[in-house]
Amino acid sequence: MLLRVENIHKSYGDAEILKGVSFDMEPGQSKVIMGPSGTGKSTLLRCINHLTEPDQGHVFVDGEELTSKNLNAMRQKVAFVFQDFNLFTHLRTVDNVAIGPRKLRGFDKKAALDLAYQELDRVGLSDRADAYPAELSGGQQQRASIARALAMEPKLILFDEPTSALDPELTGEVVSVMNKLASEGMTMLVVSHEIGFARQAADEIIFMEGGKIIEQGPPSQIFEAPQQDRTRAFLNVIEHGGHE
Amino acid sequence: MPYLVHGLSVAIALLVCLLSLGLVLGLLLSVAEVYGHWTLRIPCTVFERIFRGIPAIVLLLLFYYGVTDFIEMGSFMAAVLALGLRSAAYQSQIFRGAFLSVPQGQMMAARAMGMNKFQAIRDIVLPQALRMSIGPWTNEFSSELKATSLAYVIGVVELTRQAKYIISNTQGNILIVFAVVALMYFIVNRAGNWALYRLENRLALPGFEHRGDA
Ligand SMILES: Nc1ncnc2c1ncn2[C@@H]1O[C@H](COP(=O)(O)OP(=O)(O)OP(=O)(O)O)[C@@H](O)[C@H]1O
Ligand SMILES: [Mg+2]
Repeated sequence: MLLRVENIHKSYGDAEILKGVSFDMEPGQSKVIMGPSGTGKSTLLRCINHLTEPDQGHVFVDGEELTSKNLNAMRQKVAFVFQDFNLFTHLRTVDNVAIGPRKLRGFDKKAALDLAYQELDRVGLSDRADAYPAELSGGQQQRASIARALAMEPKLILFDEPTSALDPELTGEVVSVMNKLASEGMTMLVVSHEIGFARQAADEIIFMEGGKIIEQGPPSQIFEAPQQDRTRAFLNVIEHGGHE
Repeated sequence: MPYLVHGLSVAIALLVCLLSLGLVLGLLLSVAEVYGHWTLRIPCTVFERIFRGIPAIVLLLLFYYGVTDFIEMGSFMAAVLALGLRSAAYQSQIFRGAFLSVPQGQMMAARAMGMNKFQAIRDIVLPQALRMSIGPWTNEFSSELKATSLAYVIGVVELTRQAKYIISNTQGNILIVFAVVALMYFIVNRAGNWALYRLENRLALPGFEHRGDA
């Protein structure tokens, strides 16, 4: 088992946002988390790598528990791709990708750049290596941030709505990169309402509401024969164009 | 004239020393204020409020007559400390604003990669914050250049005091001497501003270039 999430609870003030979430992931699996806005999907992802400290519960990566002591080492195994990219503004695209290997993985400058060019090639951005983030389109920025995640050679990548800050005509290029990674065997946990990606690449859909998982299963089951009324209602909304 | 040039060199030496002290200490203060634990943040904020709340000339007198009672220190050193600590307080506000203007998501992305707080500040936030500080720092340069003339009151023989000497020793023309002094300050000020503006433009990131003239 690559990832084990065990009974995660998180409250902000009086509001209990996560009410005990548990699930597992095997190596090479892709899972997509869906659910209405404000349900705690982002909070759950951030709790997995302790960008937000959970109040209760445990996270194990490759059998090792994430604690405050091994935090920085464990985060190198669990990459995070953000909705709004968060590229480093002062670095060229290739340096954004190289900085992780260079500063965290002990690569020398040349080896880090070589790896960075390789990862940029994987996301189809070789020709923009010298551009600064401000000179890239949104889709290119998100692909660059995926390359930055890949350069850490992580065990698992967490994606928090990677396409929802993008104009519709730019989501395709990001989704196709994600499809490709999934087919190459990358383990991915993706919060997204991209039905295309969920149908093609996901091994399992996790449907969340009100801080809990209310239904999970293979896409065929969730999309064709959802057990819960809430799941069915939600899928109706997103399948008919609406984004919740 | 050679006296004035000597006075000018003392003024510039004072300026360089006080700005350097202010830069190093101001950066440390701003990091503590933005990222520090509250036990660190509070004393730093208190320091900053005190030194921004007292007139420069009073600080000079306090350091010269007060502190030199306890620690052996010449008037130049007293001036560097008084004006340098005050500059640190002002510079900390420049850097604080610059740190806060770096989008928070970048800090989060750096931490999510596995950088510790120190690495994230040093490699991600600081290089951007320093770039953004150059503009406001140019103002600080100008005000501190002018503030060096106040060191005159505790007997630092800088440009303004040299001018007074010349006038009383040679009955030189007051207006001409001070006109030359004014011109000297003005030239140093413009030269410094020009150099900083050049630096700002050289370091500007594509997509964030400066518009307009110095
Ligand atoms: N730092 C915080 N402090 C207080 N409340 C927070 C914080 N972060 C999130 N919340 C609250 O927690 C709830 C869940 O937020 P979260 O961002 O996890 O939802 P989400 O499922 O990702 O929603 P969306 O689909 O809109 O992204 C929201 O009501 C939000 O206001
Ligand atoms: Mg969210």
